[in-house]
Amino acid sequence: MKKLLALLLTACMVFALCACGGSTGAPAAETPEEAPAETPAEEPAESADKYAVNEPIEIVWWHALEEQYNDLVNEVVEEFNNSQDLITVKPQYIGAYKDVNEALVAAHAAGTGLPALCVANTDYVASYGAGGVFENLDPYIAATGYDVDDFSKGLLLSSQYDGKQVAMPFLHSTQVIYYNKTVADENNIEIPETIEDFPAFLEAGAKACGYGTVIPGWDQWYFETLYLNEGVNIINDDNTCDLDSETAVNVTKMLKDWCDKGWAYLATGTDASAAMRQKFYDGEAFSTMHTSSLYNNYCDKCDFEVGMAWYPAASTGSKNSEVGGCVLGIPALNDQATKNAAWQFLQFLCGKEVNMKWAKGTGYTPTRLSVLTTDEGIKFLEEKPAFQCVFDNLDLINPRIQNAAWSELASTWKNYMDVMLNQGGDIDEESKNMVVEINEILEDSVS
Amino acid sequence: MTDTKNLKPVSTAKNGKGRRMSNSTRSKIGDFMFVLPAIILLAVFTYYPIAKLVQISFTDWNLLKPEWKFVGLKNWKWLFEGSGAKYLWNSLKVTFLYSCGEIFATLVGGMLFALLFRRMTRSFSAMRAVIFVPKYVAMSSCAVVFLWILNTDYGVLNYLLSLVGIAPVDWLNSQSTALISVLMTTCWRVVGYGMMIYMSAMIGISPQYYEAASLDGASKSQQFFRITLPLLSPTTLFLLVTTFLSSMKVFQSVDILTSGGPARSTEVFVYLIYKYAMVDFRMDRAATSAVMFFIILLLVTVCTMKFSQNSVNYDS
Repeated sequence: MKKLLALLLTACMVFALCACGGSTGAPAAETPEEAPAETPAEEPAESADKYAVNEPIEIVWWHALEEQYNDLVNEVVEEFNNSQDLITVKPQYIGAYKDVNEALVAAHAAGTGLPALCVANTDYVASYGAGGVFENLDPYIAATGYDVDDFSKGLLLSSQYDGKQVAMPFLHSTQVIYYNKTVADENNIEIPETIEDFPAFLEAGAKACGYGTVIPGWDQWYFETLYLNEGVNIINDDNTCDLDSETAVNVTKMLKDWCDKGWAYLATGTDASAAMRQKFYDGEAFSTMHTSSLYNNYCDKCDFEVGMAWYPAASTGSKNSEVGGCVLGIPALNDQATKNAAWQFLQFLCGKEVNMKWAKGTGYTPTRLSVLTTDEGIKFLEEKPAFQCVFDNLDLINPRIQNAAWSELASTWKNYMDVMLNQGGDIDEESKNMVVEINEILEDSVS
Repeated sequence: MTDTKNLKPVSTAKNGKGRRMSNSTRSKIGDFMFVLPAIILLAVFTYYPIAKLVQISFTDWNLLKPEWKFVGLKNWKWLFEGSGAKYLWNSLKVTFLYSCGEIFATLVGGMLFALLFRRMTRSFSAMRAVIFVPKYVAMSSCAVVFLWILNTDYGVLNYLLSLVGIAPVDWLNSQSTALISVLMTTCWRVVGYGMMIYMSAMIGISPQYYEAASLDGASKSQQFFRITLPLLSPTTLFLLVTTFLSSMKVFQSVDILTSGGPARSTEVFVYLIYKYAMVDFRMDRAATSAVMFFIILLLVTVCTMKFSQNSVNYDS
């Protein structure tokens, strides 16, 4: 009996191994027949009928809009559900962008449980595009004649990968500096236009509040623009990293200097964002480098006037910023009927009609250029004059760096920044170590 | 056990009735059918995933890509020679330190609490319940509460320290205190469990041993070290093995409290695997690390069991 059992168990193991070995170069979740269409935009547009919804269908939309936005989300979804008879949308809050990413990637790998429509942080567009997670929307746009020219060019580029529109701009933001305007006015603190003026701003702010500013360390997006504007490529054309170049090291040393002088600190840890904001609300930090989408939140929580400023121009004169927030994408592994329904809903969510509704309700920047000049757009600015700095610089908002290994690179960079700025690591040495590691990641991603 | 070689069929095809099974064979097949569901479940949910994991470790599977190819020993080379080695050893060190801390809290803390709370009165029962209850609080809830307790600026702990003139400590964001902070959360949860297990074992020790020892003039400490402790060794072994295995798999508290930081100082092994898979999308590296982890756990468990055979006293 023992022998029989042993034999059977061994057979099971062999069977399992054979089953594994049997798959010739494709994981369990294989791309179904409806693989992402790769029709170039130049090809003749397919018939709109192909993307029409003819049967009643219920679809799920995964989003990252927290509880405070429930009413807004439900209102918009209800408006869509009532606007037609065939599609019923069920919104589902998944969590922060990180949680949405995990859930989506797991569902994609399993090939099941995918939502019809999903938000994704701009950070993930390249990975999702390279991996075929999101459907190529070019054929849909061409067939249905969807107007994409009304989106700002930077936003549209930020939702493309390899020239394909793999997502559409949805809720967008950019990096800004929030500052305590009441304190600034009382102490005659001037908002810096250039990076050379920034130390004076920080010193005065630190003197008045405790910290001049807080640099978010949980997401490299907040500080990477400081490097890019100084001329650091981060990823060179030859697929190597230049974060150990003299320019990059000088930027790191400048940040370290601010931290050492007590003017700033790099906020890290799981509660870093909440702690940073709390410090600002309590008047313990004069300013924070954060996302423009949280303007409403800052204004609601502070009992002083909140100012919003563009990042100071670098020594090169460049004052570009990078797009943040999220895009909307249609998971490519869904069946065509679900994708068609999702496309209808996506058009509605990104449409001009609800664009200002999102901007007003969430604090994200309007994505449609045409709405800025409408009465609604003008009223928006009147209500939130601090947004003028964002509107004035819309052309300077650039897409994110698109590299399939970006996520891995970013987590390595954040970790080393923590080592260098908070844990006393030697900047020259650690920058070199970091680049060796990042180059290994970049090399591996193309091999 | 019957020797299956000597089994002969009770009838042959000669008599024209075909081959019949003996009662013994039929009984064995019946037995086998009873264990078959368990074998199938094990094969599907344990052996198959293990085999799959081993297979993935030899591929270049990125979680997002629909295709993969075999890359031989590339991932294993990376794990031992490339940047993988650096983080492998770091996470092993962190996991080992964490395990030592949790084992210490469970065994020593549990024993001390068991000695302290072993009086069978109502008030002591209530106090025991208070100590034990955290075990039943979900780890995620515990971690969120401790996130608040350990907050540098607004945490209760730093507030209490400030009352006695101690400067605030950056519990979760400093390399020197982050792991201790995670361990504090764990200790709060596990010490009651250790206490209950030890207490139930202590109750099982015959009082005659203590009576005889006190008649011989043994002091309380001598009784503890010569009677209680040796007779608790099976319990200690049980706690040691189970705590070791569970502590090696720690994830939730680290994920919520520190996300492996600062500067990877709390990056335990399971968190490292999670990071490779879900943050970097590198399923190949995650699988390689997971296989490595499986081998380490297997080796340590076998060693522990071997060692314990010679050093555990069983009263009966």
